[in-house]
Amino acid sequence: MNLKMGCAAGLSAVALVAAGPAFAWTYEEAAAPYKGVEISILDEVTPLQEQFADIVPQFEEETGIKVNYQLMNHFEVINRGQADMLSGRGEYDAVMAHSLQVGLLMDAGVLLPIEDFVKDEKLVNPEFDVDDLIDPAFKSLAYLDDTLYSFLNWNYNMVYWGRNDLLTHPDEQAAFEEKYGYKLAPATTFQQLHDIAEFFTRPAGETLAGETLDSDFYGIVMEGMNGGGTYVPVWQIFIKNSGGDIFDADGHPTFDTPEVIAGLKMYGDLWAFSPPGQAEYSLIDVPTVMGNGIAAQSIAYSDFVLGIDREGASALHGQFVYGAPPTHEGNEAYHSAGEPSAYFISRHSDNPEATFLFLQWAAEKKTQEALLSSGVGVPVRDGSWAELMTKGKELSGLYDAMKASMAGIEATPKAPRWAQISDAMNRVFQQVGLGQLTAEEAAAQLQQDVTAICDPCLIQ
Amino acid sequence: MTKISARQSSAAETAPVDETADYYRESPWYPYALIAPTMVTLTVVALLPFLYMGWISLHEARYGQIGDFAGFSNFMTLLGDARFWNSMKVAGLFVAIAVPIEFMLGLVGALVLSQNIRFRNVLVPFLFIPSMMAPIIVGLVWKTMLAGSWGFFSYNILERFGILSGTSVFASPDLALYGLIFVDVWQWTPFMVLTFFAGMQALPASPFRAAQVDGANPVQIFFRLTLPMLAPLLFVIGLLRLIDAFKIYDTIYILTNGGPGITTESPSVLGYKYTFDFWEIGTASALAVVIWIIFFAFCNIFYQIAKRRLNVF
Repeated sequence: MNLKMGCAAGLSAVALVAAGPAFAWTYEEAAAPYKGVEISILDEVTPLQEQFADIVPQFEEETGIKVNYQLMNHFEVINRGQADMLSGRGEYDAVMAHSLQVGLLMDAGVLLPIEDFVKDEKLVNPEFDVDDLIDPAFKSLAYLDDTLYSFLNWNYNMVYWGRNDLLTHPDEQAAFEEKYGYKLAPATTFQQLHDIAEFFTRPAGETLAGETLDSDFYGIVMEGMNGGGTYVPVWQIFIKNSGGDIFDADGHPTFDTPEVIAGLKMYGDLWAFSPPGQAEYSLIDVPTVMGNGIAAQSIAYSDFVLGIDREGASALHGQFVYGAPPTHEGNEAYHSAGEPSAYFISRHSDNPEATFLFLQWAAEKKTQEALLSSGVGVPVRDGSWAELMTKGKELSGLYDAMKASMAGIEATPKAPRWAQISDAMNRVFQQVGLGQLTAEEAAAQLQQDVTAICDPCLIQ
Repeated sequence: MTKISARQSSAAETAPVDETADYYRESPWYPYALIAPTMVTLTVVALLPFLYMGWISLHEARYGQIGDFAGFSNFMTLLGDARFWNSMKVAGLFVAIAVPIEFMLGLVGALVLSQNIRFRNVLVPFLFIPSMMAPIIVGLVWKTMLAGSWGFFSYNILERFGILSGTSVFASPDLALYGLIFVDVWQWTPFMVLTFFAGMQALPASPFRAAQVDGANPVQIFFRLTLPMLAPLLFVIGLLRLIDAFKIYDTIYILTNGGPGITTESPSVLGYKYTFDFWEIGTASALAVVIWIIFFAFCNIFYQIAKRRLNVF
């Protein structure tokens, strides 16, 4: 976060809190001018949002504002939401957008800043604690320079995911220590990740944890699909934790550096221990493979992990262990992978004030508590961790991992042509995994490809 | 005979003569009036959007917002993009391999069906199944069959017995396009079989009887009678399948999304990416116009050859 953004965030927080004790603010009173109005919100469907849909009627009861809350799949919500805002049709008052979309939408001028709303004492809840929203995800997502566009609503994050039954098996532990000279444990460094992947990759007929394998077993599984989100962990975990990045401070591409090459090499080497179909795997396939029990470890989105590590969803429920995604040994500035997301008000909304009230309500502590009350969820507030850990003791290890992961998650840089850049990264990263390009060749090609797309690449 | 004539005569005498109807039928505008609703509909739903797309292709257009006139810059951007040429190569290779295979297998299948084989009435409805499936369903079916590590066919046969050990068809840059061709052949060959079979059933029987009386053998009958008489149908179906195959989108989207890399990225898939991923509407429109021009030229040449050389139309 730069200084300007920090000051702006601080001022916003002060403005929000300072107005606090002056009067008893309620959603009912704030929404009185908008009673009977209907707002349309487009969101992405996952088990978490289905749960959120159940509590949206509480907002309607409190405010008298009717909410047409629509859930669509990942690609539909991106395409339809963007198309609606960019075309100016205004079917949706607010659309959930991932940080990867925000640069394009801001550049097109279709997102409505909420600066004026947070200064309006009639609209803003004086007790709304903006400083409690998890950083650096929130500020890196919601601000462009010193202008606030939204709060944090969804906090997709990646975690390290391992087979605890294998990592704690006495025979495997002994064999691992004999081979590598240190104790077998969930990976916290790239070297451990690599060694565990290599150690557990075994063909059918060999023994694994005392059982004879009737099919091949793999040491690691990750996303590898072209057109999916393969680039996210490669760039945010392997490259950034190796000391590299894709842009410099001015937004110029910086792929051709030794640090980027080192990160790419680490990622590419792991493909030797991955299932042969990894080049087809999306963020949905990875948890499926882990749930089917043919891989020892993974780096995956925690909300999809929540869909697998539960009673009835996988025979391996309860056999998993979690941690923050590994990093380069000795790396000080920890980076993790994820996709902070939020509802953004469309500039073509007919009811921006009523929509702002919904955005604020969705990020309220009490709303988040209601959302997380089942013990399953991904928090957007630091204050929610205690609630979640109490309710969801069974998965406390996963929540610990989420919390640690979120400490290193920043939103995607605001690049208007991010879709082209990520498309190029996906394509080239996959070629590294498939052995078609060396890390050096890939870095050089990406530098050339991305420079041809944009230079500088960030919103100027 | 007499009775019938009497009835006809009686009907003619009693039926009111609609002179207005005759007047309109004799009018030179009558045929145009009949096709007018179709022409208006086509103009609204096809021609106007196409013209609008052509107009966009000549303007700066990003994010769905149409800007200034840009001349042919969108076309220059497109033609300078290696991905466009790659997509043309992908589609060309796809069409060049898949369509002839479907055509030949369709012809052979139709000939076999024409032989009054047993259970034909049961077999024919089954042949419809692949062609009746939506491409997206076909994609999902073959994803579950050929997906690496868990696909029913790839896991149980290709990998388990080491036929394609350590790989996955749709994850392999060398095999993915051929996997897609296989799926297309699987889906559309039955359609070709049934279409050609229906065409054969509609041929007049007398020339074939005459040929048999003259002692012609099956090969002579096929090349001298069946094939020439079927030629109009073969050309029309072949042309439609060729156009359809070039436009392939759904199956690729489900099975490879254009990957690995860009090895299976067809012009339709690239057009989608230009439009809905990159929001480069001007370049996408230019792509659509270029593809249309190519097909317009190709179909006209095809039509002229078929008309003049083969007397098809």
